Amino acid sequence: MTDIEYVRAADQGSALALVAEDPDAVFLAGGTTELDLALKDQVVHPSRFVDIGRLPLRGVTRDGDRLRVAALTTMEELAADPTVRERLPFVREALLLGASTQLRNMATIGGNLLQRTRCRYFRDPDVGACNKRDPGSGCAAIEGVARMHAILGAGPSCIALHASDLCVPLVAMDAEVELLDADGTRTVPLTEFYRTPGDRPDVENVLRHGELVTHVQVPLLPDGARSGYLKVRDRTSYEFATTSAGAAVTVEDGTITWAKLGLGGVGTMPWRAWEAESVLVGAPASERTFRAAAEAAIRDPFTVPGTAFKVELAKRTIVRILRTVTS
Amino acid sequence: MTATLAKENVIGRPIDRIDGRRKVAGAAPYPSDFDLPGQVHAALVSSTIAAGRITRIDRSKAEAAPGVLRVLTYDNAPTLTDPPQNALGSTMRRPLRDDRILHYGQHIGIVVANTRAQAVAAARLVEIEYAEEEPVLDIDDPRAAVEDNPFGMASSRGDVPAALAAADVTVDGTYTIGAEANSPMGLFTTVASWQGGRLVVHDTTQAPSFLRVALAVMFEVPEENVRVLIPFLGGGFGAGLRLWSHTVLTTLAARVLDRPVKLVLSRPQMFHSVGHRAASRQRVQLGADRDGRLTAIDHDAIAANGLGDHLPSPIVAVTPSTYACDNVATHERRAHLNIPFTGFMRAPGAIEAHFALESALDELADQTGVDPVELRLRNYAEVHPVSGKPWSSKALRDCLEVGSERFGWPGRDPAPRSTHDGDQLVGQGMASATFEFYALPCTVRLVVDRRGNATVRTAGTDIGTGTYTITAQLTAELLGIDVDQVRVVIGDTDQPPAPQSGGSGLAGALGAAIQDAASELADQLARLDGHPGESFASLLDRHGLDELEVTGYSDLAGAATHADVAPAGAFAAAFAEVGVDEDLGLIRVRRLVSVIDGGRVFNAKTARSQAIGGAVMGIGMAMLEELAYDPNTGRVANGTFGDYLVPVNRDVPDLDITFVGEPDTFNPTGSKGLGEIGIVSIAPAIANAVYHATGRRIRDLPITLDKML
Amino acid sequence: MSSATTARSTQVTVELRVNGRTYPVRLDSTTTLLDALRDELHLTGTKKGCDQGACGACTVLRDGKRIVSCLALAAQCDGSEITTIEGLAEDGHPHPMQEAFVRHDALQCGYCTTGQVMSAVALLREGRTGSDDEIREFMSGNLCRCAAYPNIVAAIREVADS
Repeated sequence: MTDIEYVRAADQGSALALVAEDPDAVFLAGGTTELDLALKDQVVHPSRFVDIGRLPLRGVTRDGDRLRVAALTTMEELAADPTVRERLPFVREALLLGASTQLRNMATIGGNLLQRTRCRYFRDPDVGACNKRDPGSGCAAIEGVARMHAILGAGPSCIALHASDLCVPLVAMDAEVELLDADGTRTVPLTEFYRTPGDRPDVENVLRHGELVTHVQVPLLPDGARSGYLKVRDRTSYEFATTSAGAAVTVEDGTITWAKLGLGGVGTMPWRAWEAESVLVGAPASERTFRAAAEAAIRDPFTVPGTAFKVELAKRTIVRILRTVTS
Repeated sequence: MTATLAKENVIGRPIDRIDGRRKVAGAAPYPSDFDLPGQVHAALVSSTIAAGRITRIDRSKAEAAPGVLRVLTYDNAPTLTDPPQNALGSTMRRPLRDDRILHYGQHIGIVVANTRAQAVAAARLVEIEYAEEEPVLDIDDPRAAVEDNPFGMASSRGDVPAALAAADVTVDGTYTIGAEANSPMGLFTTVASWQGGRLVVHDTTQAPSFLRVALAVMFEVPEENVRVLIPFLGGGFGAGLRLWSHTVLTTLAARVLDRPVKLVLSRPQMFHSVGHRAASRQRVQLGADRDGRLTAIDHDAIAANGLGDHLPSPIVAVTPSTYACDNVATHERRAHLNIPFTGFMRAPGAIEAHFALESALDELADQTGVDPVELRLRNYAEVHPVSGKPWSSKALRDCLEVGSERFGWPGRDPAPRSTHDGDQLVGQGMASATFEFYALPCTVRLVVDRRGNATVRTAGTDIGTGTYTITAQLTAELLGIDVDQVRVVIGDTDQPPAPQSGGSGLAGALGAAIQDAASELADQLARLDGHPGESFASLLDRHGLDELEVTGYSDLAGAATHADVAPAGAFAAAFAEVGVDEDLGLIRVRRLVSVIDGGRVFNAKTARSQAIGGAVMGIGMAMLEELAYDPNTGRVANGTFGDYLVPVNRDVPDLDITFVGEPDTFNPTGSKGLGEIGIVSIAPAIANAVYHATGRRIRDLPITLDKML
Repeated sequence: MSSATTARSTQVTVELRVNGRTYPVRLDSTTTLLDALRDELHLTGTKKGCDQGACGACTVLRDGKRIVSCLALAAQCDGSEITTIEGLAEDGHPHPMQEAFVRHDALQCGYCTTGQVMSAVALLREGRTGSDDEIREFMSGNLCRCAAYPNIVAAIREVADS
């Protein structure tokens, strides 16, 4: 038996306290990642689930040109939000291309940000070498079957992929994460929320123990901007991305005046393609520009034989989405 | 309801499956739904290396864990008798035999506890140390033990080398297919209970009669003291055709503890425990004249097999029967590897052979400029190419012609890359299929009562193909009663023995046995002096009888050996249209036409479902499915439903399914079996369509997007 | 509920409200809704196909929305209204979706079928039956290895159009 305590938090304060007091306690929201890892794969070993599912952290509010999404809003709820439909269409696309309806009814936005990698070496406790699970033990995936793995941010210690679709447009749009603990709140840009593995693949983000994601703020697309999310995968539905790209651009008189680009399926964290954006802004909306942006985005990839194809595929994915949103 | 029997037009009608209402209500019991009084739960201990020996086992922590009742490993378990070879020719390495590890995930222990959670937790506490050896995982590994001609399927007619040398045109292609997991939705389960000296076991098996024999031998009890129950299976696609170690271990645990024990495999365990379609590599050489007439076929196949395992599942067996060609040679090998035991998976062997042959034929069509449909017609085997006897039925020509018409094949521009649609290149490909006759003996018991109702009993089961329904239809028609007057009792070895649900052989064998029973019943009724038109009720009443019971038997394979026709299996042709987004490597099947000659169709609705199921599994084979073994450890690295991808609803294009042909003249019921034929030509049709779309010949399945970049 | 002073317990008492009935149960805290339904309430119509949220066989409705019951703790569902396949019939009459599945042969082995039916019933409520492609997409969270997919689409189409 897994010997994990379950406590349903009555309010935010007790939720924070229940996790803070026990270094092995975790928040339990939708559960679609946490229960899978703790109960089924048994690769994480919390002492206590603090169920925050009934806390009043649900719903979407608009604050000027920003959207504020409470962390327990489900993926389906966010996809159905009228402002998301109209002003962040690529967020909606990414949401609905992720998982299944059943999972989207359970999974929360906060949980989506914090989802763990799908690497089957990480997720199998019988695999000994996993720096993410057991720092210093090595990485079996690097010499193993690595297809759904990262080429950006990856290195010899870890090639585990962050598989979120939603985070791709969010990271592109400079979304910010509101965090809360007993000491108060802080707001962290999503682009600074995640860490690349380096020599500590077990540390995936800047979240401190006991700190709760309460909201995600997303700037809305500026007037006239167009966006799109392209997910490339073998199975037509219900599969994690092999590569994906979320782009938002404004084009005036054939020239790109504003551009945001996020990448999925390639990074150890949701990947913001800053260099590509620099290439795009001020350049003509042309195939040559798109290809130059793609080259800039996928610079210095870390590949293993199973992931080498992603270098070119990711570039083509970028070119295609840019062509789509500028046409 | 007449003593003269026979009611027209029940067979073939697309009636709703008779078990459908129970299934949609969640009321059909699968093995995992059974719980017995006093039952306890088991979990497996599996090896975490692929090759070597166990050097130390420490059960103490597991034994001390909450709720644990027993931990069995090779060094403390009672010794069992080796199982017999089953009717499919497979044997099994007895579990817990010794300290040897032959593959990753090998079951090396079983833990029994009061609850499932306790058993699963304790299984992780069994400490095992190994002396590890480097596993042999690839058929090209020079260390692999390669068995030549393991099934006696090497064959030769004519002079192939000379014919190849003299041919106007030759094709020489090497085709590889990745290992595939059957992946039925139902988790394989065993619930074993010893009641005195009698064993009752609910088990996910497609072959209850085989399982009964095997357990009787292994546990040294008379066969009649073993009862296997499997009324509903949860899918198998061949995975339930072998005896698997989890079944034996659960039965053993139940005997040791003298309590009912239940074991449900986890999904990841399914990938290591219930077989798979072996990875294979084939080389096909064709020789032909300028008009595409085949002068030589040389077909060589090698596939993987588990170490210490024997599974007769030849690839090249069908090759000599496919085309009219004077010079045909086949060669077959098996490489024994440290991989989980292989098994049978829908159309085993035939599907591999057809991918290679039908791809090679497409290459020949390309080289000769002969249309692919015409090429197959030019090489049509009007008589059985091996025996020279006339086929008992063959409507492959109709499959090709009807399929061509329904698909709109005529007028297709044969040039690759000739059609665009937006970002997609569009291609059309086709393939045909020849399936071999197969049958095993079958027995049924048929009882009619005074109310005119009939009960049919046999041990065979329904894996979802519609066995319940067609049994009722056949019986109703033969007895002249309504379908709802027939009760079907199957999936129970206390009933007369039946073949496995597999090999597309059950419907034909069962149908023939029912027909034999009906004929025997007619004889009995005649002896009872029935009036024309008299009901069973009246007849039985006049004679003071409550019921009449007869037994029916069929042995079609036996009859086949002295038939003056060549008993045919099913035939098919598939036509596929794909769209290929070349930039992104994405392939989507846009539409698929499948035409099948399965002889007489017993139920047009369930038959169509079979054909759909085959087509979709074929799409999975062509584009998605491949078991990936970790190259260092031999562990299945994608053993979950999130990683091993089977087709989803959205993957399915518009499907057009048509049945053609006439009742078969050899099988007394006219059927030829439908469970497998629908998949056989799908993958080559898709691969040929991909070639037509892009000009790229992919000879390696599955055709995932990375192979298109 | 409170904090540090709570005695540590890995057992929970849960009131499961399933198909209109209330079942008070005492469970291991980590018991999933799926296992509670099958093992404690003996509602075995809900099936376990992967136990990891990847197949949809265990689909049930929670407060009217479809979820996979293998990835929810029973404790998380305390107080929620759960509907399983056993709760679809009304007055002994099967749900129209169940009837349509039989008529269209939208099942073969039947193992995934109850999850498919629950998903299909939810799909209607979600209003995602506008086209066959939409049905296909939003039914793709329910694997069927027998591949009754086209017949499932036909069954849903018929109920949606009626």
